[in-house]
Amino acid sequence: MLAAVTIGPALYLVITSLTPLTPVNPDTAFDFSDPAGNYTAILATDEFWRSVWVQIELSVVTVATQLAAGLGLALLLDRPSRFLEVLRTGFLVPMVLPPIVVAIIWKILYTPDISPLHHVLAWLGLPVHSLITNPDTAIWAIAAADTWEWFPFTMLMLLAALQMVPKEPQEAAVIDGASALQLFWHVRLPYIRPTLVVAVLFRLIDSIKAFPLIYVLTDGGPGGATQVTNYYAFEQTFSFSYWGYGSAVATLMVAGVFLLSVVVNRLGGETIDE
Amino acid sequence: MSRRLPFSEGAGVLILAAVLSPALWLLQMSFRHNADIMSTRMIFTPTLENYTALWTGQFPGSFVNSLLASGLSTAVSLLLGVPAAYVLARWRFRGERHVALWILATRMAPPIAFTIPFFLAFSWAGLMDTVVGLAIIYVTFNLALVIWSMRGFFAAVPRSLEEAAWIDGCGVWSAFLRIALPLAAPGLAATGILCFILSWNDFFYALILTRTRAMTAPVAIVNFMQYAGWEWGKIAAAGVLVMLPVLAFTFFVRNYLVSGLMAGGVKE
Repeated sequence: MLAAVTIGPALYLVITSLTPLTPVNPDTAFDFSDPAGNYTAILATDEFWRSVWVQIELSVVTVATQLAAGLGLALLLDRPSRFLEVLRTGFLVPMVLPPIVVAIIWKILYTPDISPLHHVLAWLGLPVHSLITNPDTAIWAIAAADTWEWFPFTMLMLLAALQMVPKEPQEAAVIDGASALQLFWHVRLPYIRPTLVVAVLFRLIDSIKAFPLIYVLTDGGPGGATQVTNYYAFEQTFSFSYWGYGSAVATLMVAGVFLLSVVVNRLGGETIDE
Repeated sequence: MSRRLPFSEGAGVLILAAVLSPALWLLQMSFRHNADIMSTRMIFTPTLENYTALWTGQFPGSFVNSLLASGLSTAVSLLLGVPAAYVLARWRFRGERHVALWILATRMAPPIAFTIPFFLAFSWAGLMDTVVGLAIIYVTFNLALVIWSMRGFFAAVPRSLEEAAWIDGCGVWSAFLRIALPLAAPGLAATGILCFILSWNDFFYALILTRTRAMTAPVAIVNFMQYAGWEWGKIAAAGVLVMLPVLAFTFFVRNYLVSGLMAGGVKE
Protein backbone atom coordinates (compact mmCIF):
# COMPACT_ATOMS: atom_id res chain seq x y z
CA MET A 1 0.00 0.00 0.00
CA LEU A 2 2.74 2.40 1.01
CA ALA A 3 4.94 1.60 -1.93
CA ALA A 4 1.99 2.15 -4.28
CA VAL A 5 2.16 5.85 -3.49
CA THR A 6 5.64 5.90 -4.94
CA ILE A 7 5.47 3.26 -7.63
CA GLY A 8 2.16 4.43 -9.09
CA PRO A 9 3.43 7.86 -10.10
CA ALA A 10 6.68 6.34 -11.35
CA LEU A 11 4.82 3.97 -13.68
CA TYR A 12 2.57 6.75 -14.86
CA LEU A 13 5.62 8.87 -15.56
CA VAL A 14 7.28 6.20 -17.67
CA ILE A 15 4.06 5.54 -19.59
CA THR A 16 3.61 9.24 -20.29
CA SER A 17 7.18 9.47 -21.44
CA LEU A 18 6.32 7.03 -24.24
CA THR A 19 3.59 9.28 -25.66
CA PRO A 20 3.67 12.69 -27.33
CA LEU A 21 1.17 13.92 -24.69
CA THR A 22 0.24 17.57 -24.67
CA PRO A 23 -2.82 18.97 -22.87
CA VAL A 24 -3.90 20.76 -26.03
CA ASN A 25 -4.76 17.41 -27.55
CA PRO A 26 -6.00 14.85 -24.97
CA ASP A 27 -6.02 11.99 -27.49
CA THR A 28 -2.24 12.00 -27.39
CA ALA A 29 -2.32 10.38 -23.94
CA PHE A 30 -2.73 6.93 -25.46
CA ASP A 31 -0.75 7.40 -28.62
CA PHE A 32 1.98 4.80 -28.37
CA SER A 33 2.75 4.79 -32.09
CA ASP A 34 6.28 6.04 -31.54
CA PRO A 35 7.24 5.01 -27.99
CA ALA A 36 10.90 5.93 -28.28
CA GLY A 37 10.17 9.18 -30.05
CA ASN A 38 10.72 11.43 -27.05
CA TYR A 39 13.95 9.73 -26.12
CA THR A 40 15.49 9.97 -29.58
CA ALA A 41 14.37 13.60 -29.74
CA ILE A 42 15.98 14.36 -26.37
CA LEU A 43 19.27 12.77 -27.28
CA ALA A 44 19.36 14.81 -30.48
CA THR A 45 18.65 18.11 -28.70
CA ASP A 46 21.62 20.37 -27.98
CA GLU A 47 19.62 22.20 -25.32
CA PHE A 48 19.29 18.98 -23.34
CA TRP A 49 22.98 18.20 -23.51
CA ARG A 50 23.82 21.74 -22.53
CA SER A 51 21.51 21.45 -19.51
CA VAL A 52 23.34 18.27 -18.50
CA TRP A 53 26.65 20.08 -18.77
CA VAL A 54 25.39 23.06 -16.73
CA GLN A 55 24.13 20.55 -14.18
CA ILE A 56 27.50 18.85 -13.93
CA GLU A 57 29.28 22.20 -13.59
CA LEU A 58 26.92 23.38 -10.86
CA SER A 59 26.92 20.08 -8.99
CA VAL A 60 30.67 19.59 -9.00
CA VAL A 61 31.40 23.15 -7.92
CA THR A 62 28.79 23.32 -5.17
CA VAL A 63 29.61 19.91 -3.75
CA ALA A 64 33.31 20.80 -3.66
CA THR A 65 32.77 24.16 -1.94
CA GLN A 66 30.24 22.71 0.49
CA LEU A 67 32.61 19.95 1.38
CA ALA A 68 35.54 22.31 1.88
CA ALA A 69 33.54 24.80 3.95
CA GLY A 70 31.76 22.05 5.88
CA LEU A 71 34.94 20.17 6.70
CA GLY A 72 36.80 23.33 7.70
CA LEU A 73 34.05 24.40 10.06
CA ALA A 74 33.52 20.92 11.43
CA LEU A 75 37.21 20.73 12.37
CA LEU A 76 37.01 24.19 13.90
CA LEU A 77 33.92 23.46 15.96
CA ASP A 78 34.71 19.89 16.97
CA ARG A 79 35.51 20.51 20.60
CA PRO A 80 33.47 19.60 23.65
CA SER A 81 32.18 23.01 24.64
CA ARG A 82 28.73 24.19 25.56
CA PHE A 83 29.37 27.44 23.74
CA LEU A 84 30.35 25.76 20.48
CA GLU A 85 27.22 23.62 20.68
CA VAL A 86 25.12 26.77 20.70
CA LEU A 87 27.12 28.10 17.75
CA ARG A 88 26.43 24.92 15.80
CA THR A 89 22.71 25.53 16.14
CA GLY A 90 23.26 28.95 14.58
CA PHE A 91 24.90 27.33 11.59
CA LEU A 92 21.75 25.31 11.02
CA VAL A 93 19.89 28.42 9.91
CA PRO A 94 20.73 28.52 6.18
CA MET A 95 19.67 24.93 5.59
CA VAL A 96 16.38 25.06 7.50
CA LEU A 97 15.23 28.36 6.03
CA PRO A 98 12.51 27.89 3.45
CA PRO A 99 14.39 27.63 0.14
CA ILE A 100 12.26 30.41 -1.26
CA VAL A 101 13.47 32.73 1.51
CA VAL A 102 17.05 31.77 0.71
CA ALA A 103 16.33 32.67 -2.90
CA ILE A 104 14.92 36.07 -1.90
CA ILE A 105 17.90 36.78 0.33
CA TRP A 106 20.28 36.17 -2.55
CA LYS A 107 18.11 37.98 -5.04
CA ILE A 108 18.50 41.01 -2.80
CA LEU A 109 22.27 40.51 -2.54
CA TYR A 110 22.55 40.25 -6.32
CA THR A 111 20.33 43.21 -7.19
CA PRO A 112 22.71 46.21 -7.45
CA ASP A 113 20.14 48.88 -6.39
CA ILE A 114 19.48 47.39 -3.00
CA SER A 115 22.38 45.04 -2.38
CA PRO A 116 24.75 45.80 0.50
CA LEU A 117 27.43 43.93 -1.45
CA HIS A 118 27.09 46.15 -4.49
CA HIS A 119 26.94 49.26 -2.31
CA VAL A 120 30.21 48.36 -0.62
CA LEU A 121 31.90 47.53 -3.92
CA ALA A 122 30.74 50.81 -5.45
CA TRP A 123 31.96 52.68 -2.38
CA LEU A 124 35.37 51.02 -2.77
CA GLY A 125 35.41 52.24 -6.36
CA LEU A 126 34.82 48.78 -7.82
CA PRO A 127 31.32 48.92 -9.22
CA VAL A 128 30.27 45.47 -10.38
CA HIS A 129 27.38 44.82 -12.71
CA SER A 130 24.71 42.40 -11.68
CA LEU A 131 26.20 38.92 -11.54
CA ILE A 132 22.97 37.13 -12.32
CA THR A 133 22.25 38.90 -15.60
CA ASN A 134 25.70 38.14 -16.98
CA PRO A 135 25.84 34.73 -18.72
CA ASP A 136 29.46 34.26 -17.67
CA THR A 137 28.90 34.76 -13.96
CA ALA A 138 25.29 33.68 -13.40
CA ILE A 139 26.12 30.05 -12.74
CA TRP A 140 28.79 31.00 -10.18
CA ALA A 141 26.37 33.37 -8.47
CA ILE A 142 23.93 30.48 -8.10
CA ALA A 143 26.72 28.20 -6.91
CA ALA A 144 27.64 30.72 -4.19
CA ALA A 145 24.06 30.91 -2.96
CA ASP A 146 23.71 27.13 -3.05
CA THR A 147 26.92 26.72 -1.08
CA TRP A 148 25.61 29.09 1.56
CA GLU A 149 22.38 27.15 1.80
CA TRP A 150 23.86 23.67 2.06
CA PHE A 151 27.32 23.77 3.65
CA PRO A 152 25.64 23.25 7.07
CA PHE A 153 24.59 19.80 5.87
CA THR A 154 28.13 18.62 5.19
CA MET A 155 29.32 20.40 8.32
CA LEU A 156 26.82 18.59 10.55
CA MET A 157 27.43 15.20 9.01
CA LEU A 158 31.17 15.59 9.39
CA LEU A 159 30.83 16.90 12.95
CA ALA A 160 28.83 13.80 13.83
CA ALA A 161 31.50 11.64 12.24
CA LEU A 162 34.37 13.47 13.96
CA GLN A 163 32.71 12.98 17.32
CA MET A 164 32.65 9.24 16.78
CA VAL A 165 36.39 9.03 16.13
CA PRO A 166 37.81 7.16 19.14
CA LYS A 167 39.96 9.25 21.46
CA GLU A 168 42.83 6.80 22.10
CA PRO A 169 44.51 6.81 18.68
CA GLN A 170 44.30 10.60 18.60
CA GLU A 171 45.92 10.91 22.01
CA ALA A 172 48.58 8.39 21.05
CA ALA A 173 49.35 10.38 17.90
CA VAL A 174 49.63 13.60 19.86
CA ILE A 175 52.00 11.96 22.34
CA ASP A 176 54.09 10.69 19.44
CA GLY A 177 54.43 14.28 18.30
CA ALA A 178 52.09 14.27 15.30
CA SER A 179 51.32 17.72 13.88
CA ALA A 180 47.71 18.87 13.54
CA LEU A 181 47.85 18.10 9.83
CA GLN A 182 49.30 14.63 10.35
CA LEU A 183 46.73 13.96 13.04
CA PHE A 184 43.96 14.85 10.64
CA TRP A 185 45.35 13.04 7.62
CA HIS A 186 46.47 9.78 9.23
CA VAL A 187 44.13 9.39 12.18
CA ARG A 188 40.86 11.25 11.75
CA LEU A 189 40.40 11.16 7.99
CA PRO A 190 40.33 7.36 7.74
CA TYR A 191 37.55 7.30 10.35
CA ILE A 192 35.40 9.94 8.71
CA ARG A 193 35.98 8.84 5.12
CA PRO A 194 32.76 6.77 4.80
CA THR A 195 30.71 9.72 6.06
CA LEU A 196 32.58 12.01 3.70
CA VAL A 197 31.62 9.79 0.77
CA VAL A 198 27.98 9.64 1.82
CA ALA A 199 27.83 13.40 2.36
CA VAL A 200 29.24 14.00 -1.11
CA LEU A 201 26.78 11.66 -2.78
CA PHE A 202 23.81 13.01 -0.85
CA ARG A 203 24.69 16.55 -1.84
CA LEU A 204 25.37 15.45 -5.39
CA ILE A 205 21.93 13.90 -5.69
CA ASP A 206 20.23 16.82 -3.98
CA SER A 207 22.00 19.28 -6.24
CA ILE A 208 20.10 17.76 -9.15
CA LYS A 209 16.89 18.99 -7.54
CA ALA A 210 17.99 22.62 -7.10
CA PHE A 211 14.99 24.67 -8.14
CA PRO A 212 13.89 27.73 -6.14
CA LEU A 213 17.29 29.43 -6.39
CA ILE A 214 17.37 29.14 -10.16
CA TYR A 215 13.69 30.00 -10.53
CA VAL A 216 13.99 33.22 -8.54
CA LEU A 217 17.53 34.33 -9.36
CA THR A 218 17.84 33.70 -13.09
CA ASP A 219 14.83 31.75 -14.37
CA GLY A 220 17.28 29.48 -16.17
CA GLY A 221 18.83 32.43 -17.98
CA PRO A 222 20.49 34.49 -19.13
CA GLY A 223 20.25 32.67 -22.41
CA GLY A 224 20.03 29.27 -20.78
CA ALA A 225 23.31 29.75 -18.88
CA THR A 226 21.82 28.39 -15.66
CA GLN A 227 19.33 25.96 -17.13
CA VAL A 228 20.04 22.70 -15.36
CA THR A 229 18.32 19.50 -16.48
CA ASN A 230 15.68 19.73 -13.77
CA TYR A 231 14.81 23.22 -14.98
CA TYR A 232 14.82 22.10 -18.57
CA ALA A 233 12.29 19.37 -17.76
CA PHE A 234 10.19 21.86 -15.81
CA GLU A 235 10.11 24.37 -18.67
CA GLN A 236 9.40 21.81 -21.38
CA THR A 237 6.51 20.41 -19.35
CA PHE A 238 4.92 23.33 -17.60
CA SER A 239 5.85 26.30 -19.77
CA PHE A 240 5.69 24.71 -23.22
CA SER A 241 3.26 21.86 -22.39
CA TYR A 242 5.39 19.10 -23.94
CA TRP A 243 4.21 16.63 -21.34
CA GLY A 244 5.47 13.48 -22.98
CA TYR A 245 8.84 15.02 -23.73
CA GLY A 246 9.15 16.46 -20.22
CA SER A 247 8.25 13.08 -18.73
CA ALA A 248 10.98 11.46 -20.77
CA VAL A 249 13.55 13.97 -19.48
CA ALA A 250 12.30 13.36 -15.93
CA THR A 251 12.54 9.59 -16.45
CA LEU A 252 16.14 9.97 -17.55
CA MET A 253 16.78 12.05 -14.44
CA VAL A 254 15.24 9.41 -12.19
CA ALA A 255 17.42 6.79 -13.87
CA GLY A 256 20.49 8.95 -13.24
CA VAL A 257 19.55 9.54 -9.62
CA PHE A 258 18.84 5.85 -9.16
CA LEU A 259 22.30 4.98 -10.42
CA LEU A 260 23.80 7.48 -8.00
CA SER A 261 21.70 6.01 -5.17
CA VAL A 262 23.01 2.54 -5.90
CA VAL A 263 26.49 4.00 -5.62
CA VAL A 264 25.52 5.59 -2.28
CA ASN A 265 24.31 2.24 -1.05
CA ARG A 266 27.50 0.46 -2.13
CA LEU A 267 30.06 2.99 -0.98
CA GLY A 268 28.30 3.95 2.22
CA GLY A 269 27.33 0.38 3.08
CA GLU A 270 28.81 0.57 6.55
CA THR A 271 27.40 3.97 7.42
CA ILE A 272 23.91 3.75 6.01
CA ASP A 273 21.48 2.47 8.60
CA GLU A 274 20.68 -1.09 7.43
CA MET B 1 44.54 22.37 24.01
CA SER B 2 42.94 24.91 26.30
CA ARG B 3 45.06 27.63 24.72
CA ARG B 4 43.33 26.99 21.38
CA LEU B 5 39.77 27.05 22.64
CA PRO B 6 39.33 30.83 22.48
CA PHE B 7 40.53 30.70 18.87
CA SER B 8 37.85 28.20 17.85
CA GLU B 9 35.19 30.16 19.63
CA GLY B 10 36.28 33.55 18.36
CA ALA B 11 36.60 32.36 14.78
CA GLY B 12 33.32 30.48 15.10
CA VAL B 13 31.47 33.60 16.23
CA LEU B 14 32.92 35.68 13.40
CA ILE B 15 32.10 33.10 10.74
CA LEU B 16 28.60 32.61 12.11
CA ALA B 17 28.04 36.38 12.02
CA ALA B 18 29.17 36.44 8.39
CA VAL B 19 26.97 33.47 7.52
CA LEU B 20 23.88 34.93 9.15
CA SER B 21 24.34 38.47 7.88
CA PRO B 22 22.42 37.94 4.59
CA ALA B 23 19.40 36.75 6.57
CA LEU B 24 19.71 39.66 9.00
CA TRP B 25 19.83 42.04 6.04
CA LEU B 26 16.46 40.70 4.93
CA LEU B 27 15.13 41.27 8.45
CA GLN B 28 16.20 44.92 8.62
CA MET B 29 14.87 45.53 5.09
CA SER B 30 11.44 44.39 6.17
CA PHE B 31 11.30 47.30 8.64
CA ARG B 32 12.32 50.00 6.15
CA HIS B 33 10.01 52.44 4.42
CA ASN B 34 9.84 51.70 0.73
CA ALA B 35 11.56 55.02 0.04
CA ASP B 36 14.39 54.03 2.40
CA ILE B 37 15.21 50.70 0.80
CA MET B 38 17.60 51.98 -1.84
CA SER B 39 19.39 54.25 0.61
CA THR B 40 22.80 53.25 1.88
CA ARG B 41 22.31 54.70 5.34
CA MET B 42 22.38 52.11 8.08
CA ILE B 43 20.33 54.30 10.41
CA PHE B 44 16.65 54.50 9.52
CA THR B 45 13.32 54.87 11.25
CA PRO B 46 11.80 51.41 11.52
CA THR B 47 8.26 51.00 10.29
CA LEU B 48 5.69 48.24 10.30
CA GLU B 49 4.07 49.49 7.11
CA ASN B 50 5.30 46.50 5.10
CA TYR B 51 3.69 44.12 7.53
CA THR B 52 0.42 46.02 7.68
CA ALA B 53 0.36 46.17 3.87
CA LEU B 54 0.70 42.38 3.81
CA TRP B 55 -2.10 42.00 6.31
CA THR B 56 -4.59 43.77 4.08
CA GLY B 57 -3.66 41.90 0.91
CA GLN B 58 -4.02 38.28 -0.12
CA PHE B 59 -0.99 37.16 1.84
CA PRO B 60 -2.83 36.10 5.04
CA GLY B 61 -4.93 33.72 2.95
CA SER B 62 -1.88 32.05 1.46
CA PHE B 63 -0.31 31.87 4.90
CA VAL B 64 -3.38 30.03 6.17
CA ASN B 65 -3.19 27.69 3.16
CA SER B 66 0.42 26.90 4.06
CA LEU B 67 -0.57 26.19 7.65
CA LEU B 68 -3.47 23.97 6.58
CA ALA B 69 -1.55 21.97 3.98
CA SER B 70 1.45 21.46 6.28
CA GLY B 71 -0.70 20.69 9.34
CA LEU B 72 -2.97 18.29 7.49
CA SER B 73 -0.12 16.40 5.87
CA THR B 74 1.73 16.16 9.18
CA ALA B 75 -1.34 14.79 10.96
CA VAL B 76 -2.08 12.22 8.26
CA SER B 77 1.56 11.14 7.98
CA LEU B 78 1.75 10.58 11.73
CA LEU B 79 -1.57 8.71 11.84
CA LEU B 80 -0.51 6.32 9.10
CA GLY B 81 3.21 6.25 9.72
CA VAL B 82 3.47 5.83 13.49
CA PRO B 83 1.61 2.49 13.73
CA ALA B 84 3.50 1.25 10.68
CA ALA B 85 6.79 2.24 12.28
CA TYR B 86 5.81 0.47 15.49
CA VAL B 87 5.06 -2.73 13.61
CA LEU B 88 8.37 -2.49 11.75
CA ALA B 89 10.26 -1.92 15.00
CA ARG B 90 8.66 -4.83 16.86
CA TRP B 91 8.13 -7.55 14.31
CA ARG B 92 10.56 -8.88 11.75
CA PHE B 93 9.56 -8.68 8.12
CA ARG B 94 10.99 -10.10 4.98
CA GLY B 95 10.49 -6.81 3.17
CA GLU B 96 12.37 -4.76 5.74
CA ARG B 97 15.21 -3.87 3.43
CA HIS B 98 12.71 -2.73 0.83
CA VAL B 99 11.29 -0.22 3.26
CA ALA B 100 14.74 1.27 3.74
CA LEU B 101 15.22 1.38 -0.02
CA TRP B 102 11.80 2.92 -0.56
CA ILE B 103 12.60 5.63 1.95
CA LEU B 104 15.90 6.30 0.25
CA ALA B 105 14.11 6.45 -3.10
CA THR B 106 11.55 9.05 -2.01
CA ARG B 107 14.39 11.04 -0.48
CA MET B 108 16.38 10.90 -3.71
CA ALA B 109 13.84 11.13 -6.53
CA PRO B 110 13.67 14.53 -8.23
CA PRO B 111 10.33 16.23 -7.47
CA ILE B 112 9.73 16.85 -11.16
CA ALA B 113 9.29 13.09 -11.59
CA PHE B 114 6.40 13.11 -9.10
CA THR B 115 4.92 16.36 -10.29
CA ILE B 116 4.07 15.33 -13.83
CA PRO B 117 1.98 12.28 -12.90
CA PHE B 118 0.41 14.09 -9.94
CA PHE B 119 -0.48 17.04 -12.14
CA LEU B 120 -2.25 14.76 -14.62
CA ALA B 121 -3.98 12.76 -11.90
CA PHE B 122 -5.03 15.88 -10.00
CA SER B 123 -6.48 17.51 -13.11
CA TRP B 124 -8.55 14.42 -13.65
CA ALA B 125 -9.62 14.05 -9.99
CA GLY B 126 -10.37 17.73 -9.43
CA LEU B 127 -7.63 18.09 -6.84
CA MET B 128 -5.79 20.84 -8.67
CA ASP B 129 -5.43 24.01 -6.69
CA THR B 130 -6.78 22.49 -3.48
CA VAL B 131 -5.17 22.34 -0.05
CA VAL B 132 -6.13 18.67 0.19
CA GLY B 133 -4.31 17.86 -3.03
CA LEU B 134 -1.19 19.58 -1.80
CA ALA B 135 -1.39 17.76 1.53
CA ILE B 136 -1.59 14.43 -0.31
CA ILE B 137 1.69 15.20 -2.07
CA TYR B 138 3.36 16.13 1.17
CA VAL B 139 2.15 12.91 2.79
CA THR B 140 3.99 10.90 0.13
CA PHE B 141 7.35 12.20 1.24
CA ASN B 142 6.57 12.74 4.94
CA LEU B 143 5.31 9.19 5.40
CA ALA B 144 8.70 7.76 4.53
CA LEU B 145 10.35 10.08 7.03
CA VAL B 146 7.87 9.26 9.81
CA ILE B 147 8.31 5.52 9.38
CA TRP B 148 12.07 5.82 9.24
CA SER B 149 12.53 7.97 12.31
CA MET B 150 9.73 6.60 14.50
CA ARG B 151 11.02 3.10 13.96
CA GLY B 152 14.25 4.25 15.56
CA PHE B 153 12.42 5.79 18.50
CA PHE B 154 10.28 2.69 19.08
CA ALA B 155 13.31 0.46 18.88
CA ALA B 156 14.76 2.45 21.79
CA VAL B 157 11.72 1.69 23.98
CA PRO B 158 12.44 -1.48 26.00
CA ARG B 159 10.34 -4.35 24.75
CA SER B 160 9.91 -5.82 28.20
CA LEU B 161 7.53 -3.03 29.23
CA GLU B 162 5.02 -3.98 26.57
CA GLU B 163 5.46 -7.68 27.24
CA ALA B 164 4.58 -7.01 30.88
CA ALA B 165 1.48 -5.15 29.70
CA TRP B 166 0.44 -8.03 27.44
CA ILE B 167 0.76 -10.44 30.36
CA ASP B 168 -1.44 -8.12 32.42
CA GLY B 169 -4.12 -8.52 29.77
CA CYS B 170 -3.42 -5.52 27.56
CA GLY B 171 -4.03 -6.03 23.85
CA VAL B 172 -1.33 -5.25 21.32
CA TRP B 173 -3.13 -2.09 20.30
CA SER B 174 -3.63 -0.75 23.81
CA ALA B 175 -0.07 -1.66 24.82
CA PHE B 176 1.05 0.44 21.87
CA LEU B 177 -1.18 3.36 22.87
CA ARG B 178 -0.52 3.23 26.60
CA ILE B 179 3.13 2.18 26.82
CA ALA B 180 5.14 2.57 23.64
CA LEU B 181 3.58 5.76 22.32
CA PRO B 182 3.92 7.83 25.52
CA LEU B 183 7.53 6.69 25.90
CA ALA B 184 8.30 7.71 22.33
CA ALA B 185 6.44 11.02 22.71
CA PRO B 186 9.49 13.31 22.45
CA GLY B 187 10.46 11.55 19.23
CA LEU B 188 6.90 11.87 18.00
CA ALA B 189 6.91 15.61 18.59
CA ALA B 190 10.24 16.04 16.86
CA THR B 191 9.15 13.92 13.89
CA GLY B 192 5.92 15.89 13.58
CA ILE B 193 7.80 19.17 13.61
CA LEU B 194 10.22 17.97 10.98
CA CYS B 195 7.32 16.90 8.74
CA PHE B 196 5.74 20.28 9.24
CA ILE B 197 8.93 22.13 8.32
CA LEU B 198 9.51 20.06 5.19
CA SER B 199 5.95 20.68 3.97
CA TRP B 200 6.08 24.32 4.95
CA ASN B 201 9.32 24.83 3.04
CA ASP B 202 8.01 23.30 -0.16
CA PHE B 203 7.93 25.59 -3.13
CA PHE B 204 8.08 23.40 -6.20
CA TYR B 205 4.90 21.36 -5.74
CA ALA B 206 2.92 24.36 -4.57
CA LEU B 207 4.08 26.39 -7.56
CA ILE B 208 2.85 23.81 -10.01
CA LEU B 209 -0.19 22.34 -8.31
CA THR B 210 -1.85 25.51 -7.02
CA ARG B 211 -3.14 28.60 -8.77
CA THR B 212 -5.04 31.06 -6.61
CA ARG B 213 -7.35 29.32 -4.15
CA ALA B 214 -4.77 27.04 -2.53
CA MET B 215 -1.70 29.19 -3.14
CA THR B 216 0.81 28.83 -0.31
CA ALA B 217 2.91 31.56 1.25
CA PRO B 218 6.17 30.74 -0.61
CA VAL B 219 4.35 30.98 -3.94
CA ALA B 220 2.65 34.20 -2.85
CA ILE B 221 6.06 35.79 -2.25
CA VAL B 222 7.17 34.96 -5.75
CA ASN B 223 4.01 36.55 -7.07
CA PHE B 224 4.97 39.78 -5.33
CA MET B 225 8.16 39.66 -7.34
CA GLN B 226 6.40 39.28 -10.64
CA TYR B 227 3.29 41.39 -10.42
CA ALA B 228 3.69 43.94 -7.66
CA GLY B 229 6.42 46.01 -9.27
CA TRP B 230 9.19 44.85 -6.97
CA GLU B 231 7.92 46.02 -3.62
CA TRP B 232 11.06 44.97 -1.83
CA GLY B 233 9.81 45.97 1.61
CA LYS B 234 6.77 43.75 1.26
CA ILE B 235 8.81 40.91 -0.19
CA ALA B 236 11.24 41.10 2.73
CA ALA B 237 8.42 41.23 5.28
CA ALA B 238 6.72 38.22 3.71
CA GLY B 239 10.05 36.37 3.71
CA VAL B 240 10.48 37.09 7.42
CA LEU B 241 6.97 35.83 8.18
CA VAL B 242 7.55 32.63 6.23
CA MET B 243 10.83 31.87 7.96
CA LEU B 244 9.69 32.66 11.51
CA PRO B 245 7.78 29.42 12.20
CA VAL B 246 10.67 27.40 10.83
CA LEU B 247 13.22 29.19 12.99
CA ALA B 248 11.05 28.82 16.08
CA PHE B 249 10.56 25.09 15.50
CA THR B 250 14.22 24.61 14.68
CA PHE B 251 15.12 26.05 18.02
CA PHE B 252 12.90 23.55 19.84
CA VAL B 253 14.07 20.44 18.06
CA ARG B 254 17.60 21.44 17.08
CA ASN B 255 19.28 18.28 18.30
CA TYR B 256 16.87 15.89 16.73
CA LEU B 257 16.72 17.93 13.55
CA VAL B 258 20.32 17.16 12.81
CA SER B 259 19.67 13.44 12.57
CA GLY B 260 16.23 13.88 11.00
CA LEU B 261 17.46 16.06 8.17
CA MET B 262 20.07 13.50 7.40
CA ALA B 263 17.66 10.58 7.48
CA GLY B 264 19.45 7.73 5.82
CA GLY B 265 22.80 9.38 6.07
CA VAL B 266 24.54 8.47 9.28
CA LYS B 267 23.81 5.83 11.83
CA GLU B 268 22.91 7.33 15.17
